[in-house]
Amino acid sequence: MKHLPKHIRPRWRYLAVGIDAPIDASFDRGDFQRELWYSAGNLLGDPGSADADLTVYTFSLTDGRGEAIVRTRRGETGPARAAIACVHAIDDTPVGVRVRGISGTVRACEERYLGRATGEIYENEVAFGGDRRHADRRSDELAIHLPTATVCATQLDIE
Amino acid sequence: MYEAVPAYPSADSTASRMAKAAAQYGYDGIVIRTREAEYDPAAIAERYGVDVARGVEIHAETPESASGSIGNFRKEYTVLAVRGGTNALNRFAVEQDRVDVLTRPMAGDGDFNHVLARAAVEHGVRVEFDFGPVLRQTGGKRVQALSALRKLRELVTQYDTPYVVSVRPRSHRHLRAPRELRAVGEAIGFDPDWIEAGLAEWGRLVARNRERASDSFIAPGVKRGKYEKDDRRTR
Repeated sequence: MKHLPKHIRPRWRYLAVGIDAPIDASFDRGDFQRELWYSAGNLLGDPGSADADLTVYTFSLTDGRGEAIVRTRRGETGPARAAIACVHAIDDTPVGVRVRGISGTVRACEERYLGRATGEIYENEVAFGGDRRHADRRSDELAIHLPTATVCATQLDIE
Repeated sequence: MYEAVPAYPSADSTASRMAKAAAQYGYDGIVIRTREAEYDPAAIAERYGVDVARGVEIHAETPESASGSIGNFRKEYTVLAVRGGTNALNRFAVEQDRVDVLTRPMAGDGDFNHVLARAAVEHGVRVEFDFGPVLRQTGGKRVQALSALRKLRELVTQYDTPYVVSVRPRSHRHLRAPRELRAVGEAIGFDPDWIEAGLAEWGRLVARNRERASDSFIAPGVKRGKYEKDDRRTR
């Protein structure tokens, strides 16, 4: 269909979203989009979800650090933020999400809020709780593998 | 703004990891709810620029055992909270001057009413709004949690009961930025500023209790030292 004249096209806002997941997380854009739609549908209902019109534009995930751009209609950024905040797990992988900022164009959004360094990961043996444990380290953050669970810690906990 | 978080061993993240995440999310400080957690508040504050207060959330089956714990821990911890969830515990907690916060009163079989709301005002006990289920549950459980929050909100507004807001994270990934919580609050019928005031209340509580614990404190409004200049001039 012929696209709309410029003055009646919908106006969009682009939300830069930072994602924090475990190092071995392996979900993709589709998984995040599905979870976001579920979250919006459950929190805002069908009409609210349709209004917010959340679409994942760009998505990247390396070693548990992810970045995404989510498009929403102008004036719906509040509900969009709420729906994003309710994403707590993707494919049963727990994730932390945070809206870094909002822009009027994809390009401004990328330039201002995306492309942050993720930091390299090293494997370590650390002393934790009186035992030697295997751990993955990124700068001063540690994921310490205990027999039953993984504990997230920082350098301060093993000094 | 502050948030009250558990820490390893009762959460998947240590106190310092929680603090680092809270700093990134824009919080000014955190209250650690877990008594068994090992951490150095001063070291964390220095490294991540976020205030860390020692707290304890008493988890007791009955008011009698909670009462003993309050006596034991009040002096040692800046913030003392009692985990509600049964009518007996809710009733007990709001009638204790030594208790700062009644947490998750509506969880489990717990309920709240006008009598408790008034008692909480009288004894200065803050009632916690638990946003955890709103963020992390779906379906029937979330519906129940939302209707419980609404009931609690109506009572708290009616009687002007002091309150705090928390997401009760079980790992640092459950934390959410204050701005996100404002948006979620708005979506479920809360006033965004009201949510922010609930987060700030943790900070006020910490500041007040620290002042009370300091050596120069005698009673509210009473200070040790010389009289003030203004009083002198009126003589």
